[in-house]
Amino acid sequence: MIVAKRKPFKEIKESVSGANKILILGCGTCVAVCLAGGEKEVAILASQLRMALQLENQNVHIDELTIERQCDREFIEQINTSVNVDDYDLILSTACAAGVQLLSDVFDHKVVVPGLNTTFIGVAEGPGVWTERCRACSDCVLADTGGICPVTICAKGLLNGPCGGARNGKCEVDPEKDCAWVLIYNRLEKLGRLDKMKKIHAPKRYSVQEHPATIIHEAYKHRYTV
Amino acid sequence: MVDYEPRVVAMLCNYCAYSAADLAGVGRLQYPPNVRVVFYLCTGKVEIVHILKAFEAGADAVFVGG
Repeated sequence: MIVAKRKPFKEIKESVSGANKILILGCGTCVAVCLAGGEKEVAILASQLRMALQLENQNVHIDELTIERQCDREFIEQINTSVNVDDYDLILSTACAAGVQLLSDVFDHKVVVPGLNTTFIGVAEGPGVWTERCRACSDCVLADTGGICPVTICAKGLLNGPCGGARNGKCEVDPEKDCAWVLIYNRLEKLGRLDKMKKIHAPKRYSVQEHPATIIHEAYKHRYTV
Repeated sequence: MVDYEPRVVAMLCNYCAYSAADLAGVGRLQYPPNVRVVFYLCTGKVEIVHILKAFEAGADAVFVGG
């Protein structure tokens, strides 16, 4: 999932300054799971903002709403069944940056500002802990690396590791972090697939990384191509 | 400041702090009226936003007893 964290309160407060009526819009998917921008976090942020603005004698009205997903037009378009977006001067979105941008597209006459910093694609390690696992490189090598991504976990992103800097299973760039290629070796050994270590990977195919990327499902191509 | 009476919201757990307050009541012990008790089945259910809402509503302090 997408993992994000809330922006510093001071930055959020500055970004909403001047608005008299604000809608804080949460997202109920990834950022709710990583405790950054779901319904609860929206309530906390709204409460903090109300108090901070009241202390400065600013009469700002703040409403809260959380929708299932902000990265999907169908869900965004339903916002108007709950609130009238035109009533607000500004929408403070606590979705990931993808959600913020789609919200800006759908309500392109409204100021939309982000409440979060979108950080990575990762997994939940335990309560309150998430780690990055994927760099969305568009050319997955996990089949050869025992299900451990060297592009993400290796500080150097090496496809043919380990480098000479691994010490006691740790990385020379950050001794607190595991060496990805030691993890890969141990996993492949456990799987009886150490022969995979001998495979020489060609340089990374950066050409497959299209930015900004678009994917059209095969079954839908007829809709979007002439 | 002498007349300052802070408004305190007390979030109390059914099984300990609330029971204690109840028992104090049975014993005819008084507590100041500026303490407002909110009953919780368990204070593990206290959310950050509950505390923020109390402050937003004008509380000067929040006491969580559990």
